[in-house]
Amino acid sequence: MSKNSELQTPNSKLQTDWEPKIVAFLCNWCSYAGADLAGISRIQYPPNVRIIRIPCSGRVHPLFIMRSLQNGADGVLVSGCHPGDCHYISGNYIARRRFAILKNLLEYVGIEPERVQFSWVSASEGEKFAKVVEDVVEQVKALGPAKRLVKRKADPH
Amino acid sequence: MSEKVIQKNKMVDFLNELLKAYKVFAPVKRDHIVSFDAIQSSGEMLLNYLNSRIPPKEIFFPRSEKMFEYIRDDLIEVKEVLPSEERKVLFGIRPCDAKAILLLDKVFDSPDYQDPYYLRKRKETIFVGMGCDRPQSTCFCTSLGGAPFSEEGLDLLFTNIGDRFVVKGITEEGETLLEKYEQVFERAKKSDLDDKLNVEKEAVNRIKSKIALEKIEKRLDKMFEDSFWDRIYQKCLGCAVCTYLCPTCHCFDITDETMDTSGERFRAWDSCQFALFTLQASGHNPRMSGKERVRQRIMHKFNYFVKNYGEIACVGCGRCIKNCPVNFDIRQILLELVS
Amino acid sequence: MQKREKLLKEEVKKLLDKKQVDMVIGYEKGTLALRTTPCFLASVDDVDRLVWNEFCENNLAKYLPGRKEKVAIVAKGCDVRSIVGLIQERQITREQIFIVGIPCEGIIDRRKIESRLGEKEILEATCENGKILLRGEDFQEILKKGDFLYDSCKVCKYRNPIVFDLLIGDRVPELEKIDEYAEVRKFEAESPDERWLHFQKEISKCIRCYACRSACPLCYCEQCFVDQSQPRWIGITDNPSDVGVFHLFRVFHVAGRCVDCGACSRACPMNIDHRWLLKKMEKDVKELFGYEAGLSVEEVPPLATFKEEDPQDFIK
Ligand code: SF4
Ligand code: SF4
Ligand code: SF4
Ligand code: SF4
Ligand code: SF4
Repeated sequence: MSKNSELQTPNSKLQTDWEPKIVAFLCNWCSYAGADLAGISRIQYPPNVRIIRIPCSGRVHPLFIMRSLQNGADGVLVSGCHPGDCHYISGNYIARRRFAILKNLLEYVGIEPERVQFSWVSASEGEKFAKVVEDVVEQVKALGPAKRLVKRKADPH
Repeated sequence: MSEKVIQKNKMVDFLNELLKAYKVFAPVKRDHIVSFDAIQSSGEMLLNYLNSRIPPKEIFFPRSEKMFEYIRDDLIEVKEVLPSEERKVLFGIRPCDAKAILLLDKVFDSPDYQDPYYLRKRKETIFVGMGCDRPQSTCFCTSLGGAPFSEEGLDLLFTNIGDRFVVKGITEEGETLLEKYEQVFERAKKSDLDDKLNVEKEAVNRIKSKIALEKIEKRLDKMFEDSFWDRIYQKCLGCAVCTYLCPTCHCFDITDETMDTSGERFRAWDSCQFALFTLQASGHNPRMSGKERVRQRIMHKFNYFVKNYGEIACVGCGRCIKNCPVNFDIRQILLELVS
Repeated sequence: MQKREKLLKEEVKKLLDKKQVDMVIGYEKGTLALRTTPCFLASVDDVDRLVWNEFCENNLAKYLPGRKEKVAIVAKGCDVRSIVGLIQERQITREQIFIVGIPCEGIIDRRKIESRLGEKEILEATCENGKILLRGEDFQEILKKGDFLYDSCKVCKYRNPIVFDLLIGDRVPELEKIDEYAEVRKFEAESPDERWLHFQKEISKCIRCYACRSACPLCYCEQCFVDQSQPRWIGITDNPSDVGVFHLFRVFHVAGRCVDCGACSRACPMNIDHRWLLKKMEKDVKELFGYEAGLSVEEVPPLATFKEEDPQDFIK
């Protein structure tokens, strides 16, 4: 029906100066504090992440992730407390099941698995946070700009 | 007006000629579904089809379309996005669907309001009808003032008489086409015209669903609060199959797609069968349940539309019957209402 | 079939007669060949309208959530599993419903038949001894039932209802040697590009009529995410990104709950393949969490619970 031409994925223009945009959903109690620690400890990590603080990784609705991809994120990182450490006892356990399913689903329809990533980072793991971000940025960089599920302007008539 | 004959093997030539001068929309089959789409070559057109699943209204009133774009900085700048006016031929439309377009005209081209998005596409379109020699069991056009070979809303009408079609020019535009492409047409013999009458008569006889709808508007005047609706709505799922696939349904929703300081405004089909259709900002919904929504569909088509525009907003195409997931049959509702 | 139908009528008559239930939800003859239509009967006199045959394609569990009265429901194997889901999710209580279970040997896929016949209208269809007899204005055709079953029926593992108050007729043999994830594995083996193209091709047909959602027995949310406006999750236009998210999130939302009853695909007027995504969800839920939907009213849907040892090798 739709006559939109998104079937043709546009060439990822080989822009050398291109930098990926990563949206990072970090739980308030662990990963956000971990990111904070990385900052305070002056640990260097790539500035590509846009951090969104959330109360718990269990708060991350799959639509947060899909909407991020739709609206121009080249990658999404979701990070929460390690299993057993959830401030709300089991939020991250529930989230873990959800993420496992979602990740497989996105991959199944052809979205690169590296676009959507997950990590457990505690408040004391500033170094780990920096490393996770580094890895994610590097992997997304290797993929180039996101093409799939990205919402583009429709052709006029 | 004049009647000609075209051999079936000449249809390719005729379509190819048309394709040189017009954008041609014709029934095509993709993934087992027939719909109307712009064709590039005559071979794409399906000559032998019952009717399209998606009505041809989508050519003038697509599922979703952009209305304008805007930028909102200090000032608001609006950029019109109007569809281009191109010369089109809508080839192979069934008479019921042509009638439906006339009903849509009443909404989109009324004295009070002319809808540019619809009208720019609608204008300059030549309607080449394909008479319905095989009406389906769900067709009931004759109960709504139509007929399998009705000429209403058409410029040319084709009647299948075996290895040839009789082609009748109905309007001046139609006649012009007959003259312009006279090389593919032949003079119609008396026997061809007799054949044509027979085919048409037989088609009318094939329509078994008949409902006396003359008094339906008056009847519905008294039905709004009737318990009838409590009974009939139950199996309806509240999807939009019946309204989206209806050639006369014309409801749409308007939405803005914004990104930073710029945006686009769209309209997209909407349906009174959805709860959201009448949901108010306060949270109140005047059509709380499926009962009120089913009632709305019937009332709008057979009562409100008649009051507003003088005609029933149904042409008896049967799409809502064929495609409803639970076989909710509008004919049964109507029969009960008029009995 | 006819025997079962007769039995069904007798039993339902008793139920209504003894006032064991206030209403019965079943199937009756529709107005189209290859179809039946749902019916709601409250009086013994109406029971003769009930039918049971290979064209009873709707999942009547759809009509359960929100009911106040005591209802009997005619349910096939797959339908029963969705009723179990509704009980688990507290959309209806077990006590409130009387499950009239029907062992089922597969439902006929009208779209497959229509595609086979092309632009010919079928006026009458019956099914006897594994043969489908079709009649039109100027043709007759006999087809093998086995070739025209719904895809979901071809791999059904629970043809006999697993929970019921009454079973109509004898049990039918369960299918053997079925490979229900063969399709999914085929897709998994394809390249990401091919899968993306398949996804785009399927969703490009979507007209957003939401019949798939409306027909699903497990889609009972008071407000569906597609209808939310504060915030508005997805746009209403035919932008492929929004249509894609609609499809992805719909299947995500039934992950671990979907019982492959096929109601969504059957309702879709555009013949869109929903099962390639749904079956993938089902397979993953089974492999990752060892859960199969709709088998026991005591269980909790897998995405509403967890185990400490759930797999997490995908997490950094
Ligand atoms: S009548 Fe049928 S097609 Fe229309 S809304 Fe109800 S279930 Fe959907
Ligand atoms: S209401 Fe049904 S029969 Fe009437 S025009 Fe619409 S789709 Fe056709
Ligand atoms: S109100 Fe309903 S029946 Fe009337 S045109 Fe709109 S969608 Fe169709
Ligand atoms: S998603 Fe489809 S197959 Fe699964 S339970 Fe719902 S209607 Fe049935
Ligand atoms: S029923 Fe089919 S066309 Fe309608 S919204 Fe669902 S997938 Fe799209």
